[in-house]
Amino acid sequence: MVEKTSPKPLKSRLFLRFFVVGTLAATATACGGGSDDSDDARSVTVYTGRHYGIEPVFEAFTAATGIKVRFTAGSDPELRERLVAEGDNTPADLVMTADAANVELAAAAGLLASVDSAKLTNAIPEELRSKKNEWFALSRRLRVVMYSTERVTEPPTTYAELGDEKWSGKLCLRPSTHPYTQSLVASMILNLGSDTARAVVDSWVANKPLYINSDTDILKAIAAGDCDVALANSYYLARLLAEEPTTPVAISWPEQDGSGAHVNVSTAGVTAAASNPDEAIELLEWLATEGQSTFSDANFEYPADPNVAPAEVLLSFGEFRADLAAVRELGRLNPDAVELLSRAGYE
Amino acid sequence: MVVVAGLVATPVAVIVMSIVDPTPQMWSDLWDTRLPGMITDTVTLLVTVVAGAVIVGTGLAWLVTAYEFPARRLIGWLLVTPLAVPGYVAGFVWLDTLSGPFGPRGARTIWLCAATMILTLYPYVYLFARASFRTQGSDARDAARTLGLGPVRTFFRVAFPLARPALAAGGALVTMEVLTDVGTVRLFNVSTVADGVLRVWFGTGSRDSAAELATTLVVTAVALVAIERGLRRGARYSTRATTRPMVALPLGLGGRAGVLAGTLGVLALAVGIPVVRLVAWSQEARRNGATATVAGGLWHHLSSTLVVATLATVTCIALGTTIALLVRRRGVAGRLISRVSSLGYAMPGPVVAVGAVITLAAFDRTGILPDGSVLVGSLVGLVFALTVRFLAVGLHGVESGLDQTPASTVASARMLGAGPVRIAWSVEIPAARTAILAATALLMIDLMKELPITLLLRPFGFDTLSVWVWQATSESLWTQAATPSLAMIAIGMVAVGSLLAALERGAEMAS
Repeated sequence: MVEKTSPKPLKSRLFLRFFVVGTLAATATACGGGSDDSDDARSVTVYTGRHYGIEPVFEAFTAATGIKVRFTAGSDPELRERLVAEGDNTPADLVMTADAANVELAAAAGLLASVDSAKLTNAIPEELRSKKNEWFALSRRLRVVMYSTERVTEPPTTYAELGDEKWSGKLCLRPSTHPYTQSLVASMILNLGSDTARAVVDSWVANKPLYINSDTDILKAIAAGDCDVALANSYYLARLLAEEPTTPVAISWPEQDGSGAHVNVSTAGVTAAASNPDEAIELLEWLATEGQSTFSDANFEYPADPNVAPAEVLLSFGEFRADLAAVRELGRLNPDAVELLSRAGYE
Repeated sequence: MVVVAGLVATPVAVIVMSIVDPTPQMWSDLWDTRLPGMITDTVTLLVTVVAGAVIVGTGLAWLVTAYEFPARRLIGWLLVTPLAVPGYVAGFVWLDTLSGPFGPRGARTIWLCAATMILTLYPYVYLFARASFRTQGSDARDAARTLGLGPVRTFFRVAFPLARPALAAGGALVTMEVLTDVGTVRLFNVSTVADGVLRVWFGTGSRDSAAELATTLVVTAVALVAIERGLRRGARYSTRATTRPMVALPLGLGGRAGVLAGTLGVLALAVGIPVVRLVAWSQEARRNGATATVAGGLWHHLSSTLVVATLATVTCIALGTTIALLVRRRGVAGRLISRVSSLGYAMPGPVVAVGAVITLAAFDRTGILPDGSVLVGSLVGLVFALTVRFLAVGLHGVESGLDQTPASTVASARMLGAGPVRIAWSVEIPAARTAILAATALLMIDLMKELPITLLLRPFGFDTLSVWVWQATSESLWTQAATPSLAMIAIGMVAVGSLLAALERGAEMAS
């Protein structure tokens, strides 16, 4: 679409030049870019907050089914606001998020349709989909204790141990602006109760953590000696090891004698206003079955279907117990977690 | 025009209306927790960055207009180029660079955040100050020097006061950039109110609470601009139209060396080091084969960026000029339209983006548009939202130019029987041409860097350079962000170059 604004004809060749170049380029883009959508081709439109490594996954789906995928990437909450505003007019058929809380908020706002599919319910365990099947986890992302293999011999084995005085000034955490931090604290509220969870977060804050808003940079900070222990998602270590196999950082699986390591999920759900619901369900089913490995391995995440083997590098991280029970509650407890983090003075 | 102003103000109004139904619980919770810190951080950052940008910007502008030294024209051009470096790009490059000497903890401070912002924002002041020093001409300076004032006192007693409308325009832009920034501050762990808006909104999912906080930002910004205008009331800053252009004074050897060291030092910090690091990263990305996104290669992102930035710039300049001319004619009504239509600039980008989505989607639901077409996710919708956010840049730029149109010339034209349109066309716009061109370049640069609105409202498969940078940096893939960052800097340099070429021509024609 080309907008033909008619500017006041200012006497300047510069404006004219800008305008002519712009209009020509706009025309070229409109003609070259989006106009090849022939009407009979089946297609599905996706809003995705999980955008890393998603392209080859969609390409594989198109190759397998002939259904074209049109998608826009953005941040989870902003895409949700757009969905709310668009209502029935939304072009989105499927919504994908990088975190369980955001998708639950979308479901609570009535933006997602309940999907009745045996393929999906067979592949995805009950704990990893919403109660009314409005969203389905597609992969698991574990938020775990990371430590320096050079300086730490006895790494923490619970989230609470990160608050031990011996880690004072040696702890790296992600700021509370990030959903990964919020979801972890939400799971602690569920498992430990508000008061204990608050005490744990207080003890972290008392250790004067170095807040870094990037899991990759947190792991690099451990490698560089800027901190000894930290919290990060498992796949960031896998990614880093793929680049730098000698990175002296390892995982200590937390809460193995209790609730298990905190699990967050990549999810997808069909929109309530989808104009291509069949194609959306087909994509969702494909991601949950044939596409499980493609989807999960693209970002070194653990498949949501426990019967699908994870990527090879993940096997070296060993077996672990995961806190699946909390996943569905993360959305509900998210505001409490944000409040707790604020009151504890967590940055 | 009232309708246009109303349309542009609607997305802001959608947000501001939240104040009608306040949520006291959110405020008392915030007051107990993060609000005091947010206010401290915002005030500290604002004062430091505005003061720094005014000192650096005005000082450099005076040096390059008042004194002669080697490569003066080239340096005068280069000093605008930091504007081409988006704040979030300068942010991640400097954070990484400073983490070496200061350590990751020492690098994440409000002072280094402020320093990074000064380096990318001072050109706003520099550009306006430079244009103003040039139009002032030599007469006032030479008179001051004849009366025995030294160079430093000449600057503070004559040049600086005469340039005040221009400094106010530049300072206002810096103020808005600081108040609404959500990219750079977060990298440095600085918790401003704008950052708090996103915290509240994304953390609680409550758009209304976030909107209330965003409204306080708008009120603050409007109050700051109003106070500055109030302080200037009644003063006139135009000199006779026949003034001689500024003639640069020669400098001694020591003076030349000092000026060169100062200007080149600022350039090295603001552009040199970031570009060197980005080039190294982009080569690394090329070795890893990360030279395109799913939307396409460099050319796709480049042309998308140019299309959006050009369309929105033309719209903002056309509307901005019209409104600025109205302000001069309509008194109170005009001023009101002007203030209302520039509110979007006082809001963080993501908030404007959501306000625009709500507005456009409501329009789509009316069914007025031809079958199947919607504004949300269209190029028209995107340009509209960008206009909401950036109209103020065009408007204030043009206004500062019109302020320097000699009132006597307008009065003469009126006495000779020219109507308002003719006066606008033959007197005011030509007189403000330099300022209009400056505003055009600023808009091109601002729009090309813009991220949150473009991210939320862009058409499918229409990814700009800033979207590419976002895709890489949100996953901490700094090396992959380098190529689009460099491309943005290159576009910015071209915009700055054509702007300054036009300004030179204007200056020659004036003499």
